[in-house]
Amino acid sequence: MNSASRRHGWWLAAAVLLPALAALPFFLPFHRQDFMIFLLLDVMLVVSYRLVTLSGEWSLIHMVLMGCGGYASALLSKRADLLVWLSIPLAALLTAAVALLLSFPLLRMRGFYFLIGSYAAGEAVRLAWKYFVYPFGGPKGLKLIPPLELQLPFLEQPLSFVEPIPFYLLLLVVTCVSLLLLYRLEHSRIGLTLHMVHWQPSLAEAVGVNSWRYRTLAFACGAFFAGLAGALFVHYLGSINPNQFAIGEMLYILVWVIIGGTRTFAGPVIGVVVLSVLNEIFRQYDEWRPAIYGLILLLSMRFLPDGLESLPGRLRGLWRRRVAAAQG
Amino acid sequence: MELVLQSIANALVQSGFFSLWAVGLVLIFGVMGIINFAHGEMVMVGAYTVWLLYAGQGLPFPLALLAAALIVCLLGLCMERFLFQPFRENPLGGLINSIGLLFILQVLAVQIGGLGLMKHVPPAFPGTLELPFEVRIPVQRAVALVVSLGLLAAVGWLLTWTRLGWALRAVSMDREAAALQGISVRRIGMFAMGLGAALAGTAGALMAPLVRVEPYMGHAVIITAFIVAIVGGIGSIRGAVLAAVLYAFFHTFVTTYYSGTLATMLGLFIMLLVLVIKPTGLMGSRLRE
Amino acid sequence: MATAAAPLLEVRGLCKRFGGLVALDRVSFQVREGEIRGLIGPNGAGKSTLFKNIAGFYRPGAGEILLAGRPISGRPPYEIAGLGVVRTFQETTLFQELSVMRNLEAGCHLHASSGLFRALLGLDRERLERQRQAAGRILDFVGLRERRAQLASELPLGSQRALALGIALLAKPRLLLLDEPFAGMNPAETAHMMELTRKVRRSGITIVLVEHNMKAVMGLCDFVTVLNFGRLLAEGTPESVRRDPAVLEAYLGSAAGGTERASC
Repeated sequence: MNSASRRHGWWLAAAVLLPALAALPFFLPFHRQDFMIFLLLDVMLVVSYRLVTLSGEWSLIHMVLMGCGGYASALLSKRADLLVWLSIPLAALLTAAVALLLSFPLLRMRGFYFLIGSYAAGEAVRLAWKYFVYPFGGPKGLKLIPPLELQLPFLEQPLSFVEPIPFYLLLLVVTCVSLLLLYRLEHSRIGLTLHMVHWQPSLAEAVGVNSWRYRTLAFACGAFFAGLAGALFVHYLGSINPNQFAIGEMLYILVWVIIGGTRTFAGPVIGVVVLSVLNEIFRQYDEWRPAIYGLILLLSMRFLPDGLESLPGRLRGLWRRRVAAAQG
Repeated sequence: MELVLQSIANALVQSGFFSLWAVGLVLIFGVMGIINFAHGEMVMVGAYTVWLLYAGQGLPFPLALLAAALIVCLLGLCMERFLFQPFRENPLGGLINSIGLLFILQVLAVQIGGLGLMKHVPPAFPGTLELPFEVRIPVQRAVALVVSLGLLAAVGWLLTWTRLGWALRAVSMDREAAALQGISVRRIGMFAMGLGAALAGTAGALMAPLVRVEPYMGHAVIITAFIVAIVGGIGSIRGAVLAAVLYAFFHTFVTTYYSGTLATMLGLFIMLLVLVIKPTGLMGSRLRE
Repeated sequence: MATAAAPLLEVRGLCKRFGGLVALDRVSFQVREGEIRGLIGPNGAGKSTLFKNIAGFYRPGAGEILLAGRPISGRPPYEIAGLGVVRTFQETTLFQELSVMRNLEAGCHLHASSGLFRALLGLDRERLERQRQAAGRILDFVGLRERRAQLASELPLGSQRALALGIALLAKPRLLLLDEPFAGMNPAETAHMMELTRKVRRSGITIVLVEHNMKAVMGLCDFVTVLNFGRLLAEGTPESVRRDPAVLEAYLGSAAGGTERASC
């Protein structure tokens, strides 16, 4: 009963929110359209990152996996002349394959060792892009990456997804489908098993769960969606270089996820949306951005350790206490 | 032949720096179980202090060095008190806090010194030592090496022979047992953090005339410190020094003959290999967790 | 029980060392199908180590462990669980933040694990239905139907243990290893748990339990195996073991109270 009505609530919210989100860029200036695009990419990143955290691991390689998707799609379309519509999904799959390969050394570790190991592996991959001028273009990266285009019968020119609005709409669709899939995954049998592997690893093993397999699954699936985001991103921007995926960028993902909270699916999304919007409002202080993020991170660790997602519950508790105090 | 000898000389100087970076990180991790991601930024703050006081205000170099050590030590103590101590039960909390601080310190450095400009710190000890076989070591580097060796020896002596060092080792072995022995874990934590930070600050100050002082110089430091700490066996000071010397030679030679990027890349591969095959490293005997 | 049955579990010359400490020293014993076997001994006798070896959480130093004649030693725990050896834990191991029913559903892994694409596309309805049915059956079996919507953390100790047992049963064990199932329980809870254990045996599952509560061990077990300092000290029916002079001596001075924990 309750869950059914809640499900209806979700559908209703989606029915209102989606058209609004689709219509939004038509009313925004160019730089705000750009902002919306990066926001959607970041949403994909944090939600796919959450899948990894579900298995109990904090990885520092997620941003580099996004870069893998970007480089793969760029190389496939630029050097192998593959159709961009094919190179993007292929790049996402390749990223998942890279994650699978990396999982052999990385997932032998847990906790702190995994964190450091994933950092080292990510940095090594990034330095490889920097070092090998062929095929990765070295420190300058790759430029003139073919754009996504769609030949429509009623248009003379092919529809180019380098324009913000078409790209935004495409990205919106991809993001929504990705979120839906990731949500399903989390609420499926697999999500429950991941919860088990995270919180009671011994019990999981004792009842027959191959936890290594499930952690690999989470890691590779997370990588798939990060790679997808990276592949889309690179055809919009038209260029890619190793510095875009440096550890500093990875730390932003961590900040979003931690400030939003990791207990619920919505937590990381709330985190990235709230912080990005704040950031957009205080655009003139852009050079202070990392420091503001850092300060928010410190304060939220101190005063809101369960993230923004816990805020409604806390306020309700506070309200109830005040009401009780007023009555008693 | 000259190049080989020159590289050996350079590697010796590097090993001093690498040791200082890693020993600070290892001290903090060993005693408190916290990875300080802002460790590289502490080195950066040390370098900036020298840039401000020595290159800017004309203070004598040794004085600026001392100031750098003190300021970073103070910073370390504040971190321990406000960022790490409240999160003793949750090691990840301390790590995340150090990331927050890292961002803040980087931006402060940008605000104080600007981004693109190269901050030139003139050598305090000009001149070059001419050694046989045409090996040259700038006096500044030689001084840096001597000071690092002196500091490392002092730390070694402190840990091995003093009561404080004994207490520190006890805490790093088993925090609860140490507390039962009447050791104040809190005070030892402060001490380890202060010492580790002071070492990082000194390293930054010594480096300032030798490298480019810039807001993001901590990145190279933290990568190297991680590689050295893991390869040496996290929590083992002696392992860290040994690994620092080995890695300094490896890094210097690969950089001289191939490229710096390749050197770091291979270093990271080695670190991964160690993590997979022998997570306790060269000298570490036990695993945390 | 049928005396001619082949041993379900056979431990042959099992050794385990930690550094210089010998935790298990050439331990051999057999457990027949359908038996309830007690494993007792003073603290540090190696009982927990033995359990962990059987369930695959430790790798034996030497010796063999056979399940119905098939060697299982050296395999990872999840494989051993798949073969039918399931253990419970000393500390009550549950998902405190989930409901009773959800706890049982989590335990259904071997019934209802589904592949990635089935899960994503929603093609695993029938498996989920099977999972719910299995969980429901166990819910009745351990007598927690009324409490199924409660959070595990809200249950009293006896019910928490019953739930933990239920999760273990969902893994379809042939051999169930119970690690101190009565620790910390009051007499009423103990009696209830003993009844439940007998019921598990009646459903065809063989049980080996480590326990300090002698009353429960003597009342429940068909045979008792006694370990001391990692060696097999005695074996036999509860009565014969109770009168064994070697056992009496081993227990002298070391209290066999229920609150202690094996420290290995």
